[in-house]
Amino acid sequence: MDRRYTILAILAIVLAAGLLVIPDKSKTKETSPESMLLAVNDPARFITTDDVTERIIGGDPTLQLIDVRPADQFNKFALPGAVNIPLDSVLSPSYTELLNQPGKKNVFYSNGDTDADAAWQLCKRLKTDNIYVMKGGLNLWFNTIIKGAEPVSTASGNDLDLYSFRQAARQFFTGQGQVVGTPKADEVKKPVKVNVVKKPVEESSGGGC
Amino acid sequence: MTGPLIPMGVIPQSWDNVFAVLLGMGFGFVLEGSGFSSSRKIIGTFFGYDFVVLKVFFTAAITAMIGLLYLSQIGWLDYSLLYIHPTYLASAIIGGIVMGIGFAMGGFCPGTSFCGVAIGKIDAMLFVAGLYLGVFIFSEAFPLFEKLYNSGFRGSVLVSDSLGMSKALFAFLLTLAAIGMFFGATWLERRIKKVEY
Repeated sequence: MDRRYTILAILAIVLAAGLLVIPDKSKTKETSPESMLLAVNDPARFITTDDVTERIIGGDPTLQLIDVRPADQFNKFALPGAVNIPLDSVLSPSYTELLNQPGKKNVFYSNGDTDADAAWQLCKRLKTDNIYVMKGGLNLWFNTIIKGAEPVSTASGNDLDLYSFRQAARQFFTGQGQVVGTPKADEVKKPVKVNVVKKPVEESSGGGC
Repeated sequence: MTGPLIPMGVIPQSWDNVFAVLLGMGFGFVLEGSGFSSSRKIIGTFFGYDFVVLKVFFTAAITAMIGLLYLSQIGWLDYSLLYIHPTYLASAIIGGIVMGIGFAMGGFCPGTSFCGVAIGKIDAMLFVAGLYLGVFIFSEAFPLFEKLYNSGFRGSVLVSDSLGMSKALFAFLLTLAAIGMFFGATWLERRIKKVEY
């Protein structure tokens, strides 16, 4: 055997073995800044509070609500079925599988928009699919669903329909009868008794990333 | 076609054909340089006196494989942009047998026959004429073959994924197998009477 061939053969084996040793960067999926810019400007990630409410009431099995507020706030009140992933642990590997369940729509929410959107951006950079943000957060949800004001009698049919939907939703969430007019200040401050079905944080339930 | 620079937009789409011609010329040059325009050399693989076809094609395959995997692992190349030919199991097996018989009978594979034509070999010209005749008959009779043609569809599968191992491990094992095959073929060549051509 020609010596040159032996050297080339050894070189090929060494190079192939090198593949096993060097870290695989192709697995660290990350969205490029250019695609990130497009994604950030795309309002399609926002879901309205009414849409989320409708899905909760309808028992949409694809809905996965993710509460990114701190744990103490989550324990005081959270939307039914929500899982608490505080913003500072969004990247924690223990939540990777939860966020990547096939067929689930992950909807982030916080009190306002900022934290939920920050969580969305972090997950988007890691190429997590099916992630959304509840526009307006819990504040808007509370102001529209729980204490939504009655529209004026001359309001459009759509507005009246929306109001009756919200009233029905309020009954669903609070069990209260119809509250006409604005609730009193002390009434509002009282934490609303909501029968929250707290789902324990799933460690890992199938699916892959 | 010429990935990954064109799909990534580094080079405009209109350069596609230019690259196709350049790559084709390079391919033909290497084929001719390796002696693939000789049907006697190619047929040596089947009779065991010359394994250069096996060596050249396997070397090309493992070189490309190792190079692609390095580029992918250091993050320069997005594997998902590469076109992976979909697998049609039944038609691939039958097509492989037909191709193999033609290969052994004619002494050319489609690529090398054009190499032979380029340097004026008459047997290669006849082979290419037969090739076009075959293409014509297949195209005209396609409705008859259509069911077979699309049978055993498996999608764009990779052997490494089917075996459940990492691409790097598969590449390493394939390299070892190829090198082993090269030495085995050389050993066999020495034991079989050399045919002069």
